[in-house]
Amino acid sequence: MALNLDGTRPIYIQLSEWLENEILDGNFNSDQKIYSQYQLADIFNINPATAAKGLNILAEEQILYKKRGLGMFVAGNAKDMILSKRKNQTLKRLVQEIVMEAHRLNVSKQELITMIKEVNVEVEKE
Amino acid sequence: MSIVECRGLTKTFGGKMALNHFSCSIEENTITGLIGRNGAGKTTFLKILAGYFQQTSGEVRVFSERPFNNLTVSANVLFIHDQLNLPTALTLQEILDTMAGFYKNWDREFAQRLFEYFSFRPSQYHNDLSKGMKSTFNMILGLAARTSLTIFDEPTTGMDAAVRSDFYRALLKDYIAYPRTIILSSHHLEEIENLIEDILLIKEGRELLHIPIADLKEWAIGFQGKTHVVKEWTQGREIIFSKSDVPDYLYVVVKNDFTEVELEKAKVAGISISHVSSSNLCVYLTSKTKGGIDDVFNKG
Repeated sequence: MALNLDGTRPIYIQLSEWLENEILDGNFNSDQKIYSQYQLADIFNINPATAAKGLNILAEEQILYKKRGLGMFVAGNAKDMILSKRKNQTLKRLVQEIVMEAHRLNVSKQELITMIKEVNVEVEKE
Repeated sequence: MSIVECRGLTKTFGGKMALNHFSCSIEENTITGLIGRNGAGKTTFLKILAGYFQQTSGEVRVFSERPFNNLTVSANVLFIHDQLNLPTALTLQEILDTMAGFYKNWDREFAQRLFEYFSFRPSQYHNDLSKGMKSTFNMILGLAARTSLTIFDEPTTGMDAAVRSDFYRALLKDYIAYPRTIILSSHHLEEIENLIEDILLIKEGRELLHIPIADLKEWAIGFQGKTHVVKEWTQGREIIFSKSDVPDYLYVVVKNDFTEVELEKAKVAGISISHVSSSNLCVYLTSKTKGGIDDVFNKG
């Protein structure tokens, strides 16, 4: 499925990102129960402890909350939290990499901005 | 609670130390991957746990008891390996039927379903099976017995790729339904790394590393770049592996005790930083020389 099991990135991080995507895509809404560690272990063929680790990252970030004996549930403002987190961390890092690569290739600031605009037009067309 | 506990475990065979002051503690209801090179002492360790023979010195406890000559251990541990001695006079079906008398959690129906899934015939004999089919049958015994401690020593020897992945899937599903302590030894970490919770790395009879597999991926990090830059950044660090394929460029694997800020700075200095896959890291950690097989060809 969506996880890259032979990759070098830790599975539990990939798993927490996958869960975030599920929430962003609206497959799980606020206050809805999310998969248990055992369901995730079964779905992705991974150790339940690894699955628990992925869930716990999101619980620590309060994207999920625990109900004793019932499992984990999606927090009320989960979507907003994920969006702002992605913007501040993932997107910023990707932009940093793009800018560094541009420097390496002697691409000017203007040229880079033009490239981004072009891609943006293409994406908006789709 | 720990199921297995050993301190300073030593075993010598004809003057050679198979285990050399080996210590570890394995928690209840975990799957532990035992990883090491040929002759590292994996099987010796597992045989001692299963009560096959006694250690030369040191302490070992399984369910808080000494495993050698111990009924509790015999009834609650199943050790699956490729030299398993099964009665030659019994058919496969008879062996399955006999298991119930020895192991109290034996799931007859589960065993039967696996038996049919893997297309065994009841009237076959174990001795007549191919290597891969023997391993598959042994695996059925190991899974369906559901012993509190189940040990699989190189369980997939001879199995084809499809059966291997079936085996790992069956093991995981049954472990989820019936949690128990499982030790799995393998040369192929990449095959089992998603299945296990902890990794126990053994080298020359000693434990090298015993950590959650999830931590292993962040335990070390790869630096690649101009030789002098990489050397400057890795100075004073614990170097696990280094290689220079392209002149003036160096790839170094170091223990990852860098801060985020340091890593960012290293990137800016022109070093490309990469994760190291668990199986490569294990190869580096357990190799006897720094240069590997290439050393044989370098006469100096």
